[in-house]
Amino acid sequence: MKKRVRILLVAGAFAFAGNLFAQQDGADPVALVTETTGRIFTELDQNFERYQADPAALEALVRKDLMPLLDVHYSARLILGRAGRGLTKEKVDEFAEAMINLLVSRYAKGLLLFSSHEPLRVLPQRGELNEKLTKVRTRVKLPNGGEAPIDYAFHKTADGWQAFDVIVEGISYVTTFRNQIMPDVRANGIDSVIARLKGGDLELAD
Amino acid sequence: MTHGRPFILTAVVLSLLLSACAGTQSRNTDPVYDPWEGFNRKVYAFNDGLDKVVRPIAVGYDKIMPDPFQRGVGNFFRNLDAPVTFVNQILQAKGTQSVDTFFRFLINSTVGLLGFFDVASKMGIPYYNEDLGQTLAKWGYEDSRYLMLPVFGPSTLRDGVSRYVDSLYHPVGRAIHGRNEWGYWIVRGIDQRARYLDQDAELESAYDPYVLLRDVWRQSRQYQIYDGDPPLEDYDLYLEEDLPEAESDSGE
Repeated sequence: MKKRVRILLVAGAFAFAGNLFAQQDGADPVALVTETTGRIFTELDQNFERYQADPAALEALVRKDLMPLLDVHYSARLILGRAGRGLTKEKVDEFAEAMINLLVSRYAKGLLLFSSHEPLRVLPQRGELNEKLTKVRTRVKLPNGGEAPIDYAFHKTADGWQAFDVIVEGISYVTTFRNQIMPDVRANGIDSVIARLKGGDLELAD
Repeated sequence: MTHGRPFILTAVVLSLLLSACAGTQSRNTDPVYDPWEGFNRKVYAFNDGLDKVVRPIAVGYDKIMPDPFQRGVGNFFRNLDAPVTFVNQILQAKGTQSVDTFFRFLINSTVGLLGFFDVASKMGIPYYNEDLGQTLAKWGYEDSRYLMLPVFGPSTLRDGVSRYVDSLYHPVGRAIHGRNEWGYWIVRGIDQRARYLDQDAELESAYDPYVLLRDVWRQSRQYQIYDGDPPLEDYDLYLEEDLPEAESDSGE
């Protein structure tokens, strides 16, 4: 199960994968996800051996494609909740950075598990497009032939549409991290948590 | 999700429940409805102790039994829940789906050799999972306080009681009521436990395993209740009054 969730997470990274410059005016989140996943799979397909041999390059690719579509600072604030009160913006960003670094390296490690050409489908937008909160639904093909649902919470920012939460089979990462990290920060301080995130010692419920 | 259970355990649960009503307070309850957190944590600790015995057995089972056999056992128990799903699909006015469940049960119980083989899935008949707790949620009893059941683990008041009611017409529940049913429960328990072995490390390394289990369970349950499409969390609630001062750069 843990393995499965990790695979889902990795697949989730794919859905984010995109290029900053791809975000044209008027592109809705569904189009963004669809278009960019297509591109990332092509890239991975064509250079599979290279990425297999060079995990750092893969991590860089993930980072380059992933970050522009993520509102990491906002996720961090949601996760920190009350514990973030009174923290400087720099501190929140430092926390966000440490968190996302850990996730990116996890994603990159597992990316190579996917060799299927169409491991993911993006379901059509349902209902009105809400700039404050829009759910993008995807279905990821699992190695065993099954399909797993991964949804994203998007909102519109000054940098265009960005995701700030991943929901795997109904389980929101923001919610789940939040209830682990918020009390941790309140008890031990933000610096202790950041240090452990940087050292990879803090499990993010993968 | 739906299991019957020996009556004696229900009695234990209910008595624990009643004793819990006397003034337990929430400590870490974020948006989660857990007013009995103090009590629940005690039951969690009890279950954790019980797990010292159960886990090694589950690990042994997982090691010894080949995967296809384990899958068969899982299928077998899942098939036995079909009547509960069927009844609750009717209660939720899911007519077409209940027909699927009916044929699924018929086919798997016969051609699938008492449910060991999930022939119906191979024939493209979809699997659904319903129980009384989900039905009550659909009927409007949406928020129920979190309740950690001894032995059975995470639940809510609504789901805990519903579980017992479902067991009254569960085929095995009916057949074994008042008899020596321990064999069934032990095998089922080991099978269930073995399914979660992979998550142990994650739970152990959590800052607060009790909260992690509660969050994951609650969200999975919502996912079930809403048939795979629950509404998004109320993120605004996470932010309100939590905002670090003078920040509005997230562009909403």
